[in-house]
Amino acid sequence: MSEGSGSVIMEASVRSVVEARGVSKHISSGSGSSAARLTILDGVDLRIGAGERVAIVGSSGSGKTTLLSLLAGLDRPSSGDILLDGQSLSGLDEDARAALRAGRVGFVFQSFQLLGGFTALENVMLPAELAGLPDAADRARAALDRVGLAARLHHYPQQLSGGEQQRVAIARAYSGEPQLLFADEPTGNLDSETGERIVELLFELNRVSGTTLVLVTHDAALAARCDRVLRLRSGRIV
Amino acid sequence: MARPASSAGVMTALRFAWRRLRRGWRSGELLILALALVVSVAAAAAVGLFGDRVRRAVQTQSGDAIGADALISSREALPAALLEQLAALPLRRAAVSELASVVLSGEDTLLVSVKAAESGYPLRGALRVADQPYGTARERRDRPPSGEAWADLRVWQELRLQPGATIQLGQSSFRVSGVIEYEPDRGSGFTDLAPRVLIGAEDLPATGLVSVGSRVQYTQLLAGEPGDLAKAEALPLPQGARYLKPDTARPEVGRALSRAGQFLDIAVLAAILLAAAAVALSARQHGQAQRDEVALLKCLGASSRLIGITLLLQLLLLGLIAGVVGAAIGYAGQAVLALLIGQLVDTPLPPPSIQPLLTAGALELMLLLGFALPPVLQARKVAPIRVFQRDDGNTGGALIAGVAVAATVGLLWWQAGDARLALWVLGGTLATCAVLALFALLLVAVLTPLRRAGHTALRFGLGNVARRRGASVAQVVALGVALLALLLLAVVQNDLLDAWKQRIPKDAPNQFLINIQPAQVAPLQAFFARNGIAAPPTWPMARGRLIAVDGKAVTAESFDDPETRRWINREFNMSWIDRFGDDNELIEGRYWAPESKGVPELSVDDYVVERLKVGIGSKLTLAIADREVEMTITSIRKVKWESFKPNFFLVTQPGVLDDASGTVQYLTAFHLPRERRAVLRELIGEFPNVTAIDIEATMNQVRGIVDRIVGAVQFLFAFALAAGACVLLAAIESTRAERVRETALLRTLGARRRTIALGLVTEYAVLGLLAGLVAAAAAQITALVLARQVFDLPYQASPLLWLLGGGGGALLVVALGWWSLRRVLDTPPRVVLAGGR
Repeated sequence: MSEGSGSVIMEASVRSVVEARGVSKHISSGSGSSAARLTILDGVDLRIGAGERVAIVGSSGSGKTTLLSLLAGLDRPSSGDILLDGQSLSGLDEDARAALRAGRVGFVFQSFQLLGGFTALENVMLPAELAGLPDAADRARAALDRVGLAARLHHYPQQLSGGEQQRVAIARAYSGEPQLLFADEPTGNLDSETGERIVELLFELNRVSGTTLVLVTHDAALAARCDRVLRLRSGRIV
Repeated sequence: MARPASSAGVMTALRFAWRRLRRGWRSGELLILALALVVSVAAAAAVGLFGDRVRRAVQTQSGDAIGADALISSREALPAALLEQLAALPLRRAAVSELASVVLSGEDTLLVSVKAAESGYPLRGALRVADQPYGTARERRDRPPSGEAWADLRVWQELRLQPGATIQLGQSSFRVSGVIEYEPDRGSGFTDLAPRVLIGAEDLPATGLVSVGSRVQYTQLLAGEPGDLAKAEALPLPQGARYLKPDTARPEVGRALSRAGQFLDIAVLAAILLAAAAVALSARQHGQAQRDEVALLKCLGASSRLIGITLLLQLLLLGLIAGVVGAAIGYAGQAVLALLIGQLVDTPLPPPSIQPLLTAGALELMLLLGFALPPVLQARKVAPIRVFQRDDGNTGGALIAGVAVAATVGLLWWQAGDARLALWVLGGTLATCAVLALFALLLVAVLTPLRRAGHTALRFGLGNVARRRGASVAQVVALGVALLALLLLAVVQNDLLDAWKQRIPKDAPNQFLINIQPAQVAPLQAFFARNGIAAPPTWPMARGRLIAVDGKAVTAESFDDPETRRWINREFNMSWIDRFGDDNELIEGRYWAPESKGVPELSVDDYVVERLKVGIGSKLTLAIADREVEMTITSIRKVKWESFKPNFFLVTQPGVLDDASGTVQYLTAFHLPRERRAVLRELIGEFPNVTAIDIEATMNQVRGIVDRIVGAVQFLFAFALAAGACVLLAAIESTRAERVRETALLRTLGARRRTIALGLVTEYAVLGLLAGLVAAAAAQITALVLARQVFDLPYQASPLLWLLGGGGGALLVVALGWWSLRRVLDTPPRVVLAGGR
């Protein structure tokens, strides 16, 4: 799956899709005078180019997921700035950040995060609907077809296996044709065989669509398939 | 990619809302909220529809009490202009004239009250007329035909009439063709008790009884729609004319009606408050459940506005569906009720009107906006980061509580109308919540050390209560409020309604004898003894006119208030007694001591105080026969007129009036079973001057209203019970998700099914017991306050209530908790922990 990666890296040097500039994140634990400041991320700088596939690895508590959520604009850094598609997130409120994400950013989560009351098709339609696209259903059908779930359109998440649920999540992530896909431990809740198939699918779709992929993982094999690996230790990239 | 345009955004929101709602039906997550809304609308609609029908029926029935929906009465013939204005309204009318006259039969004469009625009389209710004395009476909705007269039993007896006899009235003769056993519009006052002769209005002029100076009471009876009656009420009346409605014309019926209204209001309030609590609880839970989805939608780029609109639309859609279902159930409920009560009631209920349905809809909107929307909208504020970091913290609790309290006040204000009733209910509810919260906190503190000892299941159960401090306290409060309401309903339904029914005892006097001469008192007692009737007490009575207050001469013109003027114009019946019975409640001052016999002290009913603006120490001067007596008010009483025992506005003590006045007469009252009524004929034969008055019919009228309302109130309570059950269910469900996870976890860790089940039962039993005991205490206090402050009824605390509260509460909560969690224990832990609930 390394074909074409050279050209992608070349592109990346031209234009960054997501960029972190001196990003730190602190939280305070406890309250009042006993409050202690905990540093999760400490001055992280990174640049991820268009079409690039980047793995963020590190031990538990190293700040991987926090970095991912900051890059996606789901949270605000304590200091520093994030640029998504060239636009600084620091001046934007939550709604403006959501608007920036809509149709541009896709997600795949460890716990799938499917809406239990929505069918597979309805779950996959969500991003396109939120972006106001008129052909959300057609796109969703096509996306589910690509992940091999054309026969499961009207099933609810609880009627699907773990692997199938994650495939629905992947279909959802790609259905809006995002420029950027964030994946948080996409195989973490799956057995190795199923996980392997999910990884194949993720990279296959990435190859076809040319989407920039940022994934957080513990899995060394998965990280090795990426163009670049960022290793986090104690909130810093090492 | 393009952002959705505004209208497209609303469409997207509507789509999401609908999908989410559809899921709610399937997974049951929204079911409790919907159920609470359905119950509230059904209760409000049934209560509203049926209450409205009952009110209208009761009004009609009390319309029977004056033979019309309303009447205009005057000492002067009503002016033609007024009659024309009345004729212009779509009302049924019948003119009735009443005057005193002497009737002749052979050699016998009798002073009677003649009533001349137009065709159509009575407009409401019916006369009961028999062919001969003590014969079978039939309902008649007309006056006698021209040339005939109907007379009451006393006329028949005193004139010794035989069926078909002729009587002379002025210059006309009438064939007496009926015995009036019951006359719907007959007053129960002692001034209106002359024997009755009823003739057709067209026969009156020929009698020549009406001439200049004759004292005739002219009355126009009116019946029709409330709106038209209101227009009639608004017409300007000539001086001296009065517009009367059932409640003002017949005070004893009026009192029963207003009491009835209070009971209905209590039932409505209870149902609605409970429904509100259930809505608030389940909406909070619904809001919690939305948080993960909101976070995900934000993650995928949804704006807070879109999410807010989605949540709002979802609630409105839910409200619409629940509203329609609830209205249908409410409509069916009131129809079933009408069938049930129809057997109890002798007049058909009027058809349901649309108004209560609209009111129920408005109420549901209030519930949605005041109780459901705030906690659900809180979900809108969830940060998208929640997709990674589950944060169970609640935000905006104070705001939600504030809105809920404001909505409760609004509901109470709107629904109760009666501010005092609303304040008592609100005060009781808030105080109960505070006490419940306090007790729950204490319990948690006590349980904390206990959870380290004992059986595993017990430790687990008690540990749950102690560990979930906030949730436990909230749950005890919610359970307690629901149990309180259920207990209170039981109390109100049984004890208070019984107390009310017993206000007219079965053996209340139904026969009054007046005009008893002093020399007849002893022979009369002997007559009773001979006939096996316990000798009833006799009251001396003298008539007097009020001529001065505090030494200042007064006439009717001294007072502005028309009611006082009318009241002053009458002669007062005064009595003198040693001491008062339990049908008199001393409000102020003191009763006289036996040794002060002869001191001109006066005890007055509080009505006198209100009319004359007098108080303790005021001096009233009355002209009694040929003397003037000044008496000082030393006590103010509240007479329970509905006891039907003889009572007097003005009472002095023995020795003041008895020997001085030549006009002293006695009266007595006793209970005579219906089958022994023939005794009356003998009595009147032996004491021909004594007048017997049968008030059985009036008592039955009041009893009928009471029975009707009791039945209705009991049905309305069934809805309140359903609402209470909803609150219980919502309270139990509020921690269900957490329990499900914990149960799965414990089973994964090797806890046996039985241990977990026992732990849950322990926890629920403790919560139920505590909530039940506090609720029992609160129910007792609230019932006491309601009885004393609102209903003015006696009430005794009942220990059974504590048993019922504590034991019943524990059982009910365990049963509901078990029902809610039964499947969890059978679900493989893997399924639960993997996220599929």
